[in-house]
Amino acid sequence: MSLTTLGEAVVAGLANGAFYAFLALGFVAIFSLTRALNLAHGELVLLGGYVGYAAGRAWGLPTALLVPLSAAALVPVGLVWRVLIARVREPVELNSMVLTFGLSLLLQNAMLGAWAADYRLIATGPGAVVPGLSTARAAGALVALVTILGLEIVLTRTRWGTVLRATSRDAEAAALLGVNVDRVGLATFAVAAAIAGAGGVLFATVHYLHPGGGVELTLLAITLAIVGQLPAAAGRRRQPLLGLLAAGLAVGLVEALTLAAAGPRWRELVVALSLLAVLFAAPGPAERGAAR
Amino acid sequence: MTAVPLAAVAALALALAVPPLVGFDPYYLYVLGTGWLWATLACAWGLLAFAGQVSFGHAAYFGAGAYASALLSQSAGWHPWLALGAAGLVGAAVAVPMGLGARRLGGAPLALATFAYAEVCRLVALNWTALTGGGAGLVGIPSLPLGRERVGHYYVALGVLVAALVIVAGLRRTPVGLAWAAIRERESRAELLGLTPAPYKLLAFACSGALTALGGALFAHAVRYIEPDLVFGRGLSLLPLVMATFGGAHSLLGPPAGALMLYLLSEVVLQPTLPRLHQLPYAMALVLVVLVLPRGLAGIARRVEGP
Repeated sequence: MSLTTLGEAVVAGLANGAFYAFLALGFVAIFSLTRALNLAHGELVLLGGYVGYAAGRAWGLPTALLVPLSAAALVPVGLVWRVLIARVREPVELNSMVLTFGLSLLLQNAMLGAWAADYRLIATGPGAVVPGLSTARAAGALVALVTILGLEIVLTRTRWGTVLRATSRDAEAAALLGVNVDRVGLATFAVAAAIAGAGGVLFATVHYLHPGGGVELTLLAITLAIVGQLPAAAGRRRQPLLGLLAAGLAVGLVEALTLAAAGPRWRELVVALSLLAVLFAAPGPAERGAAR
Repeated sequence: MTAVPLAAVAALALALAVPPLVGFDPYYLYVLGTGWLWATLACAWGLLAFAGQVSFGHAAYFGAGAYASALLSQSAGWHPWLALGAAGLVGAAVAVPMGLGARRLGGAPLALATFAYAEVCRLVALNWTALTGGGAGLVGIPSLPLGRERVGHYYVALGVLVAALVIVAGLRRTPVGLAWAAIRERESRAELLGLTPAPYKLLAFACSGALTALGGALFAHAVRYIEPDLVFGRGLSLLPLVMATFGGAHSLLGPPAGALMLYLLSEVVLQPTLPRLHQLPYAMALVLVVLVLPRGLAGIARRVEGP
């Protein structure tokens, strides 16, 4: 591997990694609020991509408009998810996995019915910011960074953020203090779905959409959620989303280096293996989440 | 589950041996044979659930069984029956890492690990081209020497299902079964009473993996073509879970009953009428079980019988 290839791999890896953290945001938001593991997360992202693709084809809108459009389109889906997940019994983690496993199948079939099994891409012009980093990837990374840092500020510096963090720590106590827990839940799910929808459009400008492609995205989100929890588990709860961002950057980097060194065939394998490694290396945070 | 349901199962199995003799339509023989296969998979999944371990990755064992039997009979030239038996052992071996993992992880983290493990197995099959043929898969797998193929497969699948039910019913009544139930109900209390959970969990994974792999091997010899997405696909992790949960994961007859109901509903009713929606019952069944029927069909049966 030459130095140039290495440099390009690092840049691409970091850009992809920031975007991965963005893709995982919705999953993490739902998990930290409700302890529910949304196995349909990848399908929600794909759905966002497909909505963007369809709107782009039908009305010829530019990608910059497709992103908010798709985000808005997924909000109702997020509200449905909220209503369903709120009814899940203990143990929430396991039952929510069963429920959302079913929902993911439902979405996958719906997408298969609506857009068939072909591969789709939202076409953006060619062009690269720097060698190895296309404009589309750079745009994705930029949106990711702005959103994550923005949300980080909202979570840590505003009243809304305090309310949300309090509710995710202990919903009952928050309710006793006068927090409208239902509204916090609906808002969180709406935002989570909107981010997934926006992420789907940006995802589709770089990667091909395929109804079966959700698993990989879900695995990625779970991996990042667990890795990103590590700083929080170490007692540093001050930066709720920076851990996620760091996890995304790390996975992106590992993936890009694998890609540069061994070729594309092993990329998915690295993601799945790193999830296994993370689960077994650090069972602490994941087990703390699991009420046994 | 005492001797009465077992006798009923035996009678049912005998009754089910009749259709091929009276010249059933080959398509329905095929559908029923596939139904027995799904029922076996659900039964194997239920065995693990009985021991309190939830798997989201049974495709790993199904695919391992399919590939093991196919490769042994095709490349190594083993007799298909021998390869079928060996595939069961391979399935048990492939389940061992997760069985050992159950020492450290439980509940949702373990479920996540099995989910990732099945993906890893699929990707290994996809990328280890020299052994598995990669994405192109394996073609022309020898079929089981059964004479009339369709009728033969019907009987073999039915036989494997009955054998699986007998094994699972037997295991549930041994001290091992009691230990499994104790671990499922309250692991910490079982440990307090002097039980070491780890070997029992490992055994549950190995048994469940072996039965699932037998199903996979049967599939490989019946269809005679396999590729990674076909036998390691997520559906094979998903459907046994759906079927068993829908039927009542901890009961003996719930999982196979759930499997047959959902599969036949999908294949016989929806496939011809609404082919695009034929997977809908599976999704709806899961949503229903989690939100309305926590004990699945077995819960209804118990309610009807009275407490």
